[in-house]
Amino acid sequence: MMTSKPAFPWIAISSLLVPGLGQFLLKRRGRGLTIFLISLLLGLLISWSFARLAIGSVALGAFTVSWLWLPLALFWLWNILDAHALAADRHISFLPAMFFGALIVYVIAWNVTDVKLDRLVSRFNDARSVASNLFNPDVITISSKGQDEICAWSCLYGYAGDVLAGRAPQGPLRWSENLLDIVGRVKGVTPPGWLVRLGLAHEGEDVNLFVAGTMVETIAMGLMATLFSTILAIPLSFLAARNVMSRFPGGMVIYYAMRGLLNVVRAVDTIVWGLIVIVWVGLGPFAGVIALTIHSVAALCKLFSEEIEHIDPGPVEAVTTTGADLIQTVSYAIVPQVVPSFLSYLLLRWDINMRSATVIGFVAGGGIGFFVVETTRQGAYQQYATALWAVALVIILVDYLSANWRARIMEDAQWQPSGHAWLRYLWVGVFVVLGLVAFVYCWNLTEISISSLFDPGKNFGQLVSDFVHVDLSPATLGPVFQQILVTIFQALLATTLGALLALPVSFLAARNLTGRNPLSIWLYYLSRAIFNVLRSIEALLYVVIFIFWVGIGPFAGTLALTMTSFALVGKLFSEAIENIDTGPIEALTATGANPLQVIVYAILPQLVPPFISYLIYQWDINIRMATIIGFAGGGGIGLTLTTYFGSLQYHKAGTVVAFIVIAVALMDFLSAKLRQELV
Amino acid sequence: MLKIENLTKVYPNGTHALNNVSFDVQDGEFLAVIGLSGSGKSTLLRCINRLVEPTSGHIFWDGRDITSIPQAEMRKVRRQMGMIFQQFNLVRRSSVLTNVLSGRLGYVGTLPSALHFFSRADHEKALSSLEQVGLAEKAHVRADSLSGGQQQRVGIARALMQDPWLILADEPVASLDPVLAHSILKYLEQLNKERGMTVMCSLHYLDLVHRYATRAIALKDGELVFQGHPKDIDDAEFKRIYGQEAERVSLV
Repeated sequence: MMTSKPAFPWIAISSLLVPGLGQFLLKRRGRGLTIFLISLLLGLLISWSFARLAIGSVALGAFTVSWLWLPLALFWLWNILDAHALAADRHISFLPAMFFGALIVYVIAWNVTDVKLDRLVSRFNDARSVASNLFNPDVITISSKGQDEICAWSCLYGYAGDVLAGRAPQGPLRWSENLLDIVGRVKGVTPPGWLVRLGLAHEGEDVNLFVAGTMVETIAMGLMATLFSTILAIPLSFLAARNVMSRFPGGMVIYYAMRGLLNVVRAVDTIVWGLIVIVWVGLGPFAGVIALTIHSVAALCKLFSEEIEHIDPGPVEAVTTTGADLIQTVSYAIVPQVVPSFLSYLLLRWDINMRSATVIGFVAGGGIGFFVVETTRQGAYQQYATALWAVALVIILVDYLSANWRARIMEDAQWQPSGHAWLRYLWVGVFVVLGLVAFVYCWNLTEISISSLFDPGKNFGQLVSDFVHVDLSPATLGPVFQQILVTIFQALLATTLGALLALPVSFLAARNLTGRNPLSIWLYYLSRAIFNVLRSIEALLYVVIFIFWVGIGPFAGTLALTMTSFALVGKLFSEAIENIDTGPIEALTATGANPLQVIVYAILPQLVPPFISYLIYQWDINIRMATIIGFAGGGGIGLTLTTYFGSLQYHKAGTVVAFIVIAVALMDFLSAKLRQELV
Repeated sequence: MLKIENLTKVYPNGTHALNNVSFDVQDGEFLAVIGLSGSGKSTLLRCINRLVEPTSGHIFWDGRDITSIPQAEMRKVRRQMGMIFQQFNLVRRSSVLTNVLSGRLGYVGTLPSALHFFSRADHEKALSSLEQVGLAEKAHVRADSLSGGQQQRVGIARALMQDPWLILADEPVASLDPVLAHSILKYLEQLNKERGMTVMCSLHYLDLVHRYATRAIALKDGELVFQGHPKDIDDAEFKRIYGQEAERVSLV
């Protein structure tokens, strides 16, 4: 039965005066505060975007004004109605409020990030030529009439036809120089010292050795960074674990300092670290390894320390009672508990490091990223295409191995020794030797030089002092703030567009929907393959394609982020669909519900929470990615940052880094709140 | 040999877990500690080996005040007090043998043990401890593959590695079914009677107290409300310890 209290007009009036005040007075403090902050934020956004970029400008007689004030007024009106309804203990839908708020935000985002949909159509021919290059990579060279040419699919098809028909095919085929640049080649080089010392080569005589290509260098960078960051993160993680540090006097101070430091270091993307590191040790793969390591240490440290905090305290207590000291307790009660999760985080990080290694070359030099910068600068898109396919191949493999090994670790089966003991020792010995050889090889390949660590470049001191005294003058803050907003809006649009595109495809990629039927299973494999290939390539590598299509600027960056979002969100969505509980479907079908009713009442309610949580996850990723997309011409704060770094204006670069840290931390906080509310 | 004087423990959140508790434990006793959940039994046992630092009062071990000796000294004292836990507290992923060997950590050097190196004598001792609890053939399987009763026996074997004079047992059978409860307590009784180890054991069920303990103390809201022979716990005493609502239940 409805009990209708008398309406309180003053509640509605207070919400009319200050949005959210009425709700606040009704002891719905959180709701009131949220409404107030949203109104304030929307108002600021509208006036800022109108004053600076004339967004939403309409002429009203002699005045020009932003039409976006209209949806804000409607939002205000909703807030009054909401307060009025709450006063009478009723509730009205908050969908209108979400609609008006989203309208304002998306209109501004659309304009700020310079979305030009018409270019997608008008310059479609350019896109087609890039696409044709992408599918005809420079892998095989044919020599005909004394000239070398790229032999792509049609040429290969003709060659195969000639061979099958018994005709003499045109010129011999061989792997292209471009492919050898990426993979590596055997060629005569001056022998390294150790070969001479072992008597396998002579001074002054070239020997034939494998010279690694850019992709091999990339793999080495990813491996070295993973190794170094693990070695550093394991001891550091104990300093960031509450349950360990709270045992020592003053330990909590170290704990909070570590937590703060880790969050700041993680908020700055690997690529941005690359910019800082090259000032320290100079361009090259070593700079890449350091940049990857810095970010990776912080991320691993956070995961490791959380794992230490969640161990079972029982065994720790038991081992302590035997009279064991701290080191013994760690070794017997803590280490065995955390080994599986540490290993699985390590493998996860290896995957992430390999992906980052493919793009770190954009700023640090070295690896496939540097190769992509070079080739695209020359407009060599078929060569660029080869690099993309090589990256896709390697990353898909790494992703598979990492996921597969993690799944095995999570099973946590007891290791059963098999075979003779000496055979096991032999295997261990072989692996140790192979590991050492790989380590030394990677060490040399990535040009690691400990001495240059302690001999920073001449500008590094300047950078450090400038980062302490960042430029906070309005002349710098204005444009930096604008670019930060552009970056945030890029992430927002990319997440939205990516999810909208992914939604229908994710249903096709769900095994329980399309994988059962032999007629539709090809759809399953096709959509899965598309997700996996697109997901394996970092957004920075995509930007080039979109620059060619829609021109340099934030729109190209947004589209590149949309590609990666589409692939990751699509994969996660399809897995959520695969994981739904079939019980409710069965139950509703048994009640006589039709398929549409089953979807609405049994399937959608199960999908909404995971979908929202994946969207928020993707949004977190995109915020970070958007800060670097400008390094390749994708607009946003990254462009500003490279400009300042390039012109040695480190005090302004410091401002940008500080803004990035603040923006990322703020967005993380918001998404965590949102997740709490919605999921 | 163990003398508790005016022991008080106040946790940082303000809980008075122990309030001015004093009693003695004689050599060779099987002392049961009874009381409701939250009456302070676990805190009392953990104060004795200082897993929990007492707020005030004194603990005398073998005539020596150990209440505030330094940690390095305390580790030597802890070797003489084995402890057994309700949740067994084994490292689930380590082998049974490693779990048992970890009972020896107080006697061996930090570096060799951190590298998981133990002497042959320690290995033999671990295997014979396992034999005493009937689990010799399980030495190399992982602890989490054992049943609850077997895990508790591994816990006892681990405590035996310390060559303890005193065994502190914190609800050792509360996670086990009645049959297993008797088998575990029989092991403790055997250690008590045949090897002269003093046992101090918190228990929930009064009939187990009657069956195994030579003496009992009772805690209520952190205060000592009874000490004496288990037979002396009559109905009035029982209501005083467990509250007016309580009724006697029997195990098995």
